[in-house]
Amino acid sequence: MGILAVLWEKWVEFKRDLYKITVSIMILPLMYLLVFSFGIKFSINGEPYFHYLIPGLIAMTTMTSSFGAIAQNMTVQRLYERALDQVMVSPTPLWQFILGQVIGGSLRGLYAAIIILILTSPLRGGLIFTPLSIGILFLNGLVFSTIALVLSFMAKNHTDAPRFNSYIIMPMSFLCNTFFSTENMPHGIREFVEILPLSQTCEMVRNIANGRVASIRGIVILIAYLVAGLIISAQFLYKKKNL
Amino acid sequence: MIELKNISKRFNNFKAVDDVSFTVDKGEFFGLLGPNGAGKTTIISMLSTVLLPSEGTIKIDGNILDRKASGTKRKISVITQEYSMRQDMTLDEVMEYQGRLYFMSKKDIKRKTDELFEFANLTEFRGRTVRRLSGGMKRKLMVCRALLTDPEILLLDEPTAGMDALSRRQMWSLLRKLNSDKITIILTTHYMEEAQALCDRVALINVGKLEKIDSPSNLINELGEYAIDENIDSDMKSVFFHDKQAAIEYLQNTNNKAELRTTTLEDVFLECYGRKIDLD
Repeated sequence: MGILAVLWEKWVEFKRDLYKITVSIMILPLMYLLVFSFGIKFSINGEPYFHYLIPGLIAMTTMTSSFGAIAQNMTVQRLYERALDQVMVSPTPLWQFILGQVIGGSLRGLYAAIIILILTSPLRGGLIFTPLSIGILFLNGLVFSTIALVLSFMAKNHTDAPRFNSYIIMPMSFLCNTFFSTENMPHGIREFVEILPLSQTCEMVRNIANGRVASIRGIVILIAYLVAGLIISAQFLYKKKNL
Repeated sequence: MIELKNISKRFNNFKAVDDVSFTVDKGEFFGLLGPNGAGKTTIISMLSTVLLPSEGTIKIDGNILDRKASGTKRKISVITQEYSMRQDMTLDEVMEYQGRLYFMSKKDIKRKTDELFEFANLTEFRGRTVRRLSGGMKRKLMVCRALLTDPEILLLDEPTAGMDALSRRQMWSLLRKLNSDKITIILTTHYMEEAQALCDRVALINVGKLEKIDSPSNLINELGEYAIDENIDSDMKSVFFHDKQAAIEYLQNTNNKAELRTTTLEDVFLECYGRKIDLD
């Protein structure tokens, strides 16, 4: 099964860089926790702010880790190492390669989420994380791995990968329900931001954490992004004449 | 059998390969020759599906070759000009990844890797990452990787580039052995003596077009089996003869410093491409 070959490759990469991956996962969320929860102390509806922040941080971490696991790596493999050629020549069906990459990226995101869950466990109070939360985070990882795959296929050179981060990941990190609710955003911008995948993930994970029900609409939106990304990736690998 | 029919490849407005057709028989050793930028690597890339033709079709054993053709691709292995592999993997990991992509069992991967590393003298380096290998060792690793999957068709893009003379001869022996085991080989090379020593037939390509296709001996015979290198005003010119006696007579009558020898494929190449450069 080609998917397993790709997952094995991702596992080799993960094992080798385990220490570096783990440390880099922790730094940014820890900074946010320190700044927003201990530095600038405030509350929302009488609740400590980090009760609002933690679900958003976890969702954001799955996004950045899943995206990061694919974008830079695949850009380098395609344009510089030419390691993608090895896959193109092989009999592994390309759809299996795509799924392997996306699942591998999402598992990296899930690993990051678990690290942040462990780190924030003394602060979480009554926040609830269920298997459904994990499933939504996994789906979020799939979406952002797919987006990373599509962008890395479009990259013209290695400097494009950090640019994607600045254009897509950074704005989403700040705007998509992570640190504050989208409810107060101006009309037009709010509707746009709310339809973005991270906004949906943050809202669903936060609802579950606070004992509320996650909307099925959010899951449908995430699946729509995922399917669109997979179709674009497959079009690229199967149809593009010059990789 | 490999069949290329009216293959063209465009990159924006540049036509790298222009309406090329040829067939390569099962078990044949076939060479693609041409100057830099002739389109040789582009043809190899299309045969490995890394590039898709702009026009025309490629068939292998009657089946159209495209990126969905998993069964057909299973028969092919490629040694590219660039070191197309992950630089942060160890040699063992490179081999295992290749084996897994070709659906080999872990036991088979281990057994064949041991054999190939032993053969290529890479056993003691198997724990090293590719990044830390010399160019020649990377080339050997690519050969091992290509042979791991027991291909029926081997595509070689400049396989001996950057190798020392001894390694090059070892590679020739290996390629001859593989070919004698009925593996079809398509090779691009800059070394004419390599093509002459190895190939059953060669195709001469220039600016994307197929100029000639024949066996090295036929191409040499067409030009003349005997060559005289003659120094004229500090320039060297080669004259070719079908008849040895005629060549000797020419040698006796010339006042310039001259030497008789047998014609090589390099002469065919230089005549074919040198003439075009002169005309340009």
